[in-house]
Amino acid sequence: MKENNQVNLRELAEDLVNFGKIHGADEIEVTILDGYEFSVDVRFGAIENLVEAGSRALGMRVIKDSKTAFASSSDLSRETLEHLVKNAIKRAALASPDEFSGLPSLSSRQTDVSSLSLFDPEIPSLNSKAKISLAVKAETIALADKRITNTHGASFETKEIKTVLGNSNGFLQEYNQTVCGLSLGLQAGETDNRVEDYWFSIKRKFRELETPEEVAKKAVRRTVRQLNPRKIKTQKVPVIFEPMMTSWLMGFLFGCVSGISIYQKTSFLVDKLGERIGNSSVNVIDDGLLPGMLGSRPFDAEGVPCTKNTVVENGILRNYLCNTYAARKLKLKSTGNSAGTGVSPNNFYLEAGETPPDKIISSLEKGLILIRTLGHGLNPVTGDISRGAFGLWVEKGEVSYPVSEITISGNLGEILNNIEMIGNDLEFQSPISGPTIKIRELTVAGE
Amino acid sequence: MKKTSALQFEDHFHVSQEDLLRILNISLSRGGDFSEIFLEYKIYNLINMEEDIIKETAESISLGLGIRVISGEQTGYGYTNDFSLEKIKKAALTAASIANASHARDATSLTSALFNHNYYPVHESLHKEPLEKKISLVKKSYHSAMNYDPKIKKVKTTLLDQTQYLKIVNSEGLDITDVRPLVKLVCLAVAEQENKREAGYSGGGGRIGLEYFTQEFTPEEIGQDAAQEALLLLGAELPPAGEMPVVLAPGHSGVLIHEAVGHLLEADFNRKKTSVFWDKMGKKVADSKVSIYDDPTIPHSRGSYNIDDEGIIPEKTLLINQGKLTGLLQDRLSAKLMKKSLTGHGRRQDYTCIPIPRMSNTYVDKGEYTPDEIIKSVKKGFYAHKYQGGQVEDSGKFTFSVSSGNLIEGGKLTAPVKQATLIGSNIDILNKIEMIGSDLKFGLQTGTCGKEGQSMPVSDGCPTLKISRMTVGGQD
Repeated sequence: MKENNQVNLRELAEDLVNFGKIHGADEIEVTILDGYEFSVDVRFGAIENLVEAGSRALGMRVIKDSKTAFASSSDLSRETLEHLVKNAIKRAALASPDEFSGLPSLSSRQTDVSSLSLFDPEIPSLNSKAKISLAVKAETIALADKRITNTHGASFETKEIKTVLGNSNGFLQEYNQTVCGLSLGLQAGETDNRVEDYWFSIKRKFRELETPEEVAKKAVRRTVRQLNPRKIKTQKVPVIFEPMMTSWLMGFLFGCVSGISIYQKTSFLVDKLGERIGNSSVNVIDDGLLPGMLGSRPFDAEGVPCTKNTVVENGILRNYLCNTYAARKLKLKSTGNSAGTGVSPNNFYLEAGETPPDKIISSLEKGLILIRTLGHGLNPVTGDISRGAFGLWVEKGEVSYPVSEITISGNLGEILNNIEMIGNDLEFQSPISGPTIKIRELTVAGE
Repeated sequence: MKKTSALQFEDHFHVSQEDLLRILNISLSRGGDFSEIFLEYKIYNLINMEEDIIKETAESISLGLGIRVISGEQTGYGYTNDFSLEKIKKAALTAASIANASHARDATSLTSALFNHNYYPVHESLHKEPLEKKISLVKKSYHSAMNYDPKIKKVKTTLLDQTQYLKIVNSEGLDITDVRPLVKLVCLAVAEQENKREAGYSGGGGRIGLEYFTQEFTPEEIGQDAAQEALLLLGAELPPAGEMPVVLAPGHSGVLIHEAVGHLLEADFNRKKTSVFWDKMGKKVADSKVSIYDDPTIPHSRGSYNIDDEGIIPEKTLLINQGKLTGLLQDRLSAKLMKKSLTGHGRRQDYTCIPIPRMSNTYVDKGEYTPDEIIKSVKKGFYAHKYQGGQVEDSGKFTFSVSSGNLIEGGKLTAPVKQATLIGSNIDILNKIEMIGSDLKFGLQTGTCGKEGQSMPVSDGCPTLKISRMTVGGQD
């Protein structure tokens, strides 16, 4: 067994960048993640799994003669890392020159990391017993409800992550973040007529996490409301998306405005910048600087400072979200959305409207509230959507009964033009989010 | 030519058997029924070609170990990628903390275990093959798709290969190793015509050496298949919506069995009584023509393994025998708690994960009809050919997305159809299997299955199947 050498990660990043330059790289970027995770799964009040661990990973990008090579390792020994750098320089020679490759130039802009509130010092100080008891409590409360017949269990987890990024253009910065989450999955009904659902709360700050009572209450409500579902005939009706469903739709939109799918022409929004892609009520934002939110970060995976970008403004497509490479391909600027070779959302959301969600439901003469979807069935090239779904049938403004074994189908482009109402209930539950919305018409296939 | 043989285990861990035994004893310092160390070294390569250039190559090394202690129904787990004694001890103590007996237990001394089978002999370790050779495969596939038709406007080809060295030791005295190759070459082609744009996909691979791409499925064929599918979809219609007879194409349709049936026969879901099958062992759950297997021992298949990730020699497992539920996919914990025999289906994504029951290569056994006879029997219906994927609930309700298919009219395949969704409830559909083809095939050797955040390579298969009625979702 080896000796344990404590390494300073910032120095390690700097040293490797220098090592790469000395050995012939034109440009080199080094990212180091140092994480600690705790997670506990409980079921019927007892611990099922308890995991606790620290781990590190390092990733690098090397560019020589406009040719790029990547490498990564969870073995942080100098020997392995230096071997990987040298090998990457050799491998780069076998790739093709690409005029769009390369690191971003050093920005003069700098985000004050502390203003983002990404780290909660309370999380590392939580003791195991307290963490376990949160999960136990959430599940116990839910199981007290007689309608709940089985449980997938409750989980509580925390993560602490340090990110260090250095490159040969002189960038060298780091930030720390925390995440904690409480989740609960339930079943109701007897074996052959079972329904299931879950609820979770994930936050950067422990104090902001929903209480076990709140998580249990929501998980129970979401599960039991599906009991005794009916089938419906195939028809076209107005459909209300609950916030989690709007988030799912926004996730699909994110993929379609990603600069990568644009230059690859795998999105139906190619060549649509400046054009109307939705009705005037639609405003979509990506903001990396919202304090304390899950998608916030001071800089992206290439060290480009994050910012607030308007993606759709009153229905007009204003920006594609790009990393440096996609931006160069499209003759645009990086929007601070790099996730290595891909792009990722910061906080990507549909802006809230003014209508309370219950008013949206009461406006519905006859139609469906979409509560869950299953499966794949998204085609970014066309915007076509076809998914298995679960919903609540609404008549005369009131929920009548749950429905299952249906599929919904439509097209994202058409949906954005057919959003009739937008709720005032936007919450940043995940990096992609949105409020309740009402769509004029979708095909709901049943019997 | 080089002889095909088993890959040699190379020790990347440098931890002696004595030290491993010491660590096992530390992990049992608070009691515990069982402890185990899973050591993993994985080297991974990627080559990506698009826009006519080799855009990136990547090399990745993953080294780490995970320590598990089981105490009753409870599991403690710690892992580290720092092989210092201090960090390994800390992981062992974390895992140990799940037990709270006052007396430590002792692990049995370790004996190296050998086995005589090898389901993935290859000519050469994938990571020892020259990069130039791999790049040439990628280029061949890329160009064959791009040059297939002027309407093909964009192609992306990726080669991914990995070699996983693993060693498992446990408190029962087991000390066992395996080396698993895994590779896939995948090609995505986009065709354009007027304002229409469609994508086609194909790929090949498995637990193989690069010789597969000259002997079994060439890069050119992979490129052509992707291009053909994209062109076909340009002319495809949106599907009808509603309930109708559905014929599932052989091979690719195995995903239905994987999703709708296989997952719910994983032992953990049955032990916890969350699966719809938990109270149906020995009972009829499908039409009596239907038999379903999961077989981790199919040579070179993507889902195969010589030992599972708990060190168990795996077995071909009969899950449904002529309509009756007969077996579950077991891991160590569920088998012990349910007092059943091990089947060797405990798998884990990597050293950071606790093993859980998983599928390997899952398939429906063949029947007696020719595919023609089956299609001829349908007046008006839907033929599902290829899928984007699927998902199932514990209740048995499932969905899967059909990327390409056909209408069936008057006993013949007619207009191509895209973007359909099939939904249903598993036992209901299993009972509606009306005809089974004699043409058992496996789908593309590129599939990955997700469960509880862990991704595993799998494969699945089936012959042509006719389902008497099923809900098809589309735009009518």
